[in-house]
Amino acid sequence: MKRSKRMEVLDGRPVNKDGFINEWPEMGFVAMKSPYDPKPSIKVVDGVIVELDGKKRDDFDFIDQFIADYAIRIDRSLDSMALSSLDIARKIVDINVSRKEILKIVSGITPAKMVEVINYLNVVEMMMGMQKMRARKTPANQAHITNLKDDPVQIAADAAEGALRGFREEETTVGIARYAPFNAIALLIGSQAGRRGVLTQCAVEEATELELGIRGFTTYAETMSVYGTEKVFVDGDDTPYSKAFLNSAYASRGLKTRFTSGSGSEVLMGNAEKKSMLYLETRCLYVTKGAGSQGIQNGSVSCIGVTASVPAGIKEVIGENLVAALLGLECASSNDQSFTNSDMRRTARTMLQFMPGTDFIFSGYAGEPNYDNLFAGSNFDAEDFDDYNVLQRDMQVDGGLKPVKEEDVIRVRSLAGKAVQAVFKYLGLTEITDEQVEAVTYAHGSKETLSRDVVADLMAVEDMMKRGITGVDIVKALAETGFEELAESILNMLKQRVVGDYMQTSAILDENFKVNSGVNNPNDYMGPGTGYRVDGERWEEIKRIPHIIDPNNF
Amino acid sequence: MELNQELIERITRLVIEKINLQNEQSEAHGTPFTGKTSYAGYPVAKKGTNPKEVVVGVGPAFQREIKKTINGLSLDDVLKNITAGIEEEGMIPRVVKILKTSDVCFMALEAAKISGSGIGIGIQSKGTTVIHQKDLYPLSNLELFSQAPLMTLKTYRAIGKNAAKYVKGEKVSPIEGVNDPMVRANYQVKAALMHIKETELVDVSIPMIEWRSENEISFR
Repeated sequence: MKRSKRMEVLDGRPVNKDGFINEWPEMGFVAMKSPYDPKPSIKVVDGVIVELDGKKRDDFDFIDQFIADYAIRIDRSLDSMALSSLDIARKIVDINVSRKEILKIVSGITPAKMVEVINYLNVVEMMMGMQKMRARKTPANQAHITNLKDDPVQIAADAAEGALRGFREEETTVGIARYAPFNAIALLIGSQAGRRGVLTQCAVEEATELELGIRGFTTYAETMSVYGTEKVFVDGDDTPYSKAFLNSAYASRGLKTRFTSGSGSEVLMGNAEKKSMLYLETRCLYVTKGAGSQGIQNGSVSCIGVTASVPAGIKEVIGENLVAALLGLECASSNDQSFTNSDMRRTARTMLQFMPGTDFIFSGYAGEPNYDNLFAGSNFDAEDFDDYNVLQRDMQVDGGLKPVKEEDVIRVRSLAGKAVQAVFKYLGLTEITDEQVEAVTYAHGSKETLSRDVVADLMAVEDMMKRGITGVDIVKALAETGFEELAESILNMLKQRVVGDYMQTSAILDENFKVNSGVNNPNDYMGPGTGYRVDGERWEEIKRIPHIIDPNNF
Repeated sequence: MELNQELIERITRLVIEKINLQNEQSEAHGTPFTGKTSYAGYPVAKKGTNPKEVVVGVGPAFQREIKKTINGLSLDDVLKNITAGIEEEGMIPRVVKILKTSDVCFMALEAAKISGSGIGIGIQSKGTTVIHQKDLYPLSNLELFSQAPLMTLKTYRAIGKNAAKYVKGEKVSPIEGVNDPMVRANYQVKAALMHIKETELVDVSIPMIEWRSENEISFR
């Protein structure tokens, strides 16, 4: 066939490099609704759920049982299940029905009913739902802070810059697993150098992550993964009960935590049991609620390549975010993983959370160039900062970030690097040279930084862990090397664990370490003139982008 | 890219064939799908005693139902390079096929546990690889190579060498990470299809078998 030039141009467009697949429910490649999804039902005998979504208690798998025993308000189920799914869907969008009332209704419905409700909504209605149901009145944002070299100096500098730009949570991870404690410490110090009160975490293997938390190297945890089918849980050597146990381990030490789930994981792991992605993810969210977690990171997350490959996949993503909010969970709404070659497509995907606002619009936005992002690339990265700031300004939307001045960026990056250098020296860890700090201060990414002695670093990490170094030692190191203000900030972060208020739903801290959560600042949206509005000083801040035309220059 | 297209089509065809077979079977007999390869009668992998040994645990579909990694490297070549890397450092490779799981971390840990040295390597048929040590947490590792589409035969050889160096107790410089933010966009669906295939072949009744290329050749 003689080829059309236009079709050739279109074939060459970035979007056509993306992976797309037709719906295939037998293998779980179906977003919103599978013919094999169960029909909603509930039967309660003597205060025990004996039938859930068409399944008898004797046939329950451990997820069904966990949900039936811990995630559904039996006292409300009769009334809630009596409402039609269409009615519930309409109430979600109705500005005259409060968030509180919706939470009450939803607490008594089953997962299959939830899926039915969500299937009545189009994306705009889902966004309206999210605008009302988000737990915290003020939206916020989270960053990924990583680099290819696992360079602690760069982690500290990028964390400082990220904090300055407005991120209220920062997450790191590792290229080499054994680096985790260094990365956690660098993030802890760097974040406070940019703006006080930023929460930090290090996403690694669960037992290691818990230890880092207990030692005070991190101030929250997020990577407690739950899955929608029993087989996938078992393959990971886990159950809903073990996750609940892990959750309480963190709680016992006063650490904020949230779970992680997301559609597509069961497909990717080969055990979707023919169910829709939305149904399986809904089960995850019920497990999360049942385990007593205050929140969830969801929105397909690292499996977005699978969810985005099927029809209505991106709609499903905001759908599952909304389910989290409907269950009263804090929702860190993903946007944290690259999934498309198309700039247009990746921006559109993010608008679904950006416009209504979520507790954390990204979970995490790459605070470094994507080549340094060890979560295999985020949907937005450091090169998109100005685009993002302009999007906030264009639409008068609070996306959690703000424009910054170059001199401030350099100042906080330098401070963070020097502080980490001092702490490493004080604790007898590997040397950080002035040249390294200098290079990192002015660097965009790890291509412009100096290499570290990885073997020496890993030995120092091992030694430090053996010596039982904790967060308090870091405070001491900072205080005794001239970084009193930073020492004070980190001590304040450690104090949060004793106070415990930041374990409430959707908590972040302000610059004075005061909690701002779904409890003391609940979302009260009920239509125009209510809820969170971008105005006052925050609006002025968003307006102040660089590269503004000055009429006086003409 | 053509190669990958071909691969994806082949896998899709295979999966569909299996599903059709399954449907036929369940219609005919009302029994679940049982059409997978049986390794009954193969030598069960035993715990090694040689302290120089590195066990390489390959996935259930390795070199049989799947012959190339997600980016088209021949699995024969992959295995050749890993074992050569181990030998170059003076250690002894032993290859087993893990049948009890298709999860790469658990595969690697199983390999480490039966390895005389306690060091093992797990490789999924799509190419994802982990170096593990028997006393680490399952989801921890010595080195993880999560982005299979970026792997080259050179990397596999270096993995073999590094695993051997861990056995020798040397100070090992982990292989430098590579990262491509577009991997998910370009490969995740293919990864899912390949993993579905591999997971279908999991057989918990035969946890691990000794795996030599002769076994493979005789079945070609």
